[in-house]
Amino acid sequence: MKMTAPEGLAVWLDRLAQEVNLIAPREIDGVLLYRPVRNSGEIVWEFTRPLLSIKEAFFPATERLLTIEKIGQQIKLTETLPKGEQVIFGVRPCDARGIKMLEALFTDTEPSDPYFTQRRENTTLIGLACRTMGATCFCTSLGGAPDDPGDMDVMLYEVENGFVIQVMTEKGQALLSRFSLETDDISENESEFRASYLCEQAERIVIPEMNAWAVKFDDPYWEQVSERCLSCRICAYVCPTCRCFDVRDEDLLSGNGHNQSERIRCWDSCAREAYRRIAGGHNPRQAKGQRLRNRFLCKFDYYPRQSALGTAACTGCGRCIDACPVNIDITEVMQHIVEVSQ
Amino acid sequence: MILSECKNGHNPLVPYLGKLVKVRDLASEIKLFSVEMLDGGREALGSYFPGQFAFLSAFGVGEAPFGIASTPRRSSTLDFAVNRLGSVTNELHLLGEGDFVGVRGPLGNWFPMDEFKGKNLIVLGGGIGGAPLRPVIQTVLDNRQNYGHFTILWAARHPSLLVFTDEYDEWRSAPDTRLHLTVDQPDAVWDHNVGLITELLEKVSPSPEDAVSITCGPPVMIYYVNKVLDKLGFKPEQNYVTLEARMHCGVGKCGRCNLGEKLVCVDGPVFSMADVGKLSESFL
Repeated sequence: MKMTAPEGLAVWLDRLAQEVNLIAPREIDGVLLYRPVRNSGEIVWEFTRPLLSIKEAFFPATERLLTIEKIGQQIKLTETLPKGEQVIFGVRPCDARGIKMLEALFTDTEPSDPYFTQRRENTTLIGLACRTMGATCFCTSLGGAPDDPGDMDVMLYEVENGFVIQVMTEKGQALLSRFSLETDDISENESEFRASYLCEQAERIVIPEMNAWAVKFDDPYWEQVSERCLSCRICAYVCPTCRCFDVRDEDLLSGNGHNQSERIRCWDSCAREAYRRIAGGHNPRQAKGQRLRNRFLCKFDYYPRQSALGTAACTGCGRCIDACPVNIDITEVMQHIVEVSQ
Repeated sequence: MILSECKNGHNPLVPYLGKLVKVRDLASEIKLFSVEMLDGGREALGSYFPGQFAFLSAFGVGEAPFGIASTPRRSSTLDFAVNRLGSVTNELHLLGEGDFVGVRGPLGNWFPMDEFKGKNLIVLGGGIGGAPLRPVIQTVLDNRQNYGHFTILWAARHPSLLVFTDEYDEWRSAPDTRLHLTVDQPDAVWDHNVGLITELLEKVSPSPEDAVSITCGPPVMIYYVNKVLDKLGFKPEQNYVTLEARMHCGVGKCGRCNLGEKLVCVDGPVFSMADVGKLSESFL
């Protein structure tokens, strides 16, 4: 295997930042986010996980789909597919799995979404294995691992004198060929190395069986646990796999006197009261309990049946637990389902 | 002249351009828009089936899904009945003949009209829910010999909200076809049934033998109509409905229209009540 010294890696990242859109964990006003960086000095190296997942780089919070120009009687539509190569550095294994789950839905399920798919094709993921699990992390309970390279293009493992490099895909190899990284050979093979890369791997919680959720559809628990829910939707926004969106047109300021607007899509969440309301006012999910139930059943019952992956749409990143202002904890919900189904 | 720089044949989120060639009042606050597709939309929307839907764009405001109210056999335009209820429909109502709209579709599944051949059909439409049933009615009338007894139960809250009133004579005069009208709130000149469509259904009491029912209307109407159909001996497999849901993509991505694990946009909007019964979540 090969490894690189921290200095060599920094030089490499500096070069990458000059040639492509390099996105990495960066502190913005005290908040850690994946954002474009101009050089390696802006990158934060010690972190559990940024506030938002890398979902943003594939499915932005607000994204233009097309522009609409009215010129007299004429209408001109211009589709605005994303362009440009991006490399994301410092990707956590949970976030890379999240992208795979979104890909199953956006790209692999016909018709594919050209916006997400284009960004996925234009992006290379450079993973950074977690040395420890955060207090609210539970990826190991959902088949993930803090050092799982499975969904990366290149995986880096921090060791005493630098970073061990594992190339996972041709795309990762191509990036390393284009931008050469100073490396040293090390004698260990992968299994020896992985065994020595110490990280706690215990499963932290018990995950309910997929079929246990539907049985609890009419459980009064949903109404109880939702009493304190503020329908603020932060759980969906920080989630690496939540993907619901809204579409609308917004006016654009235009210098040439033409009437211009853009069609955008923006993140939405099933916690929102109007989410399922139809014209005329009927709302089959009027109650908060019905909406919160949908959030959990979507992840653990509906998505596994809809997606070719067949897995739960949860990576165990724990972001929703940290973000919830009223302490609704996805692992507690799962424990309830496990207990009542026994 | 129209400009469209989109190579939009492959982008399911970009609409095709269409021109409003006819706009007419259908009922109170409900207009019927006839859209002539332009450029690539001619082919993409040249073929579609009864029960399918499409998104209509009011450019600058947004888009919303509507059942297609025409058949390609009868009409070279696409017809949409639009009730003025929100921002998109309000903007659409401001448009007139010659104005441009966007159309994405055809989307969703459709009524299995071939499977219905040889059967007696009961169509139940409530208010603007009649719009996606018009292609069913036209398909039956255009292929009258392929279907058995044909019964249409048509309802609205008030006579001013009944849709396609100018087509009733054609429906009534077709062979072996009965049209029953009802409103909850009659006006002075109303001389048909008064009451809910459920009451009318009990009165007409169609036989479930070799029969299929097709219902579209508000969720509460669909629910109670099917209660009465159960009572009349119809099996859930014999009862078809088309469901409405809030949706923003129509192609299974935006997540908005889920009923349990099913998505109304791609698994529907047409469901048999047997399939509805398997859903964990109620449409009501």
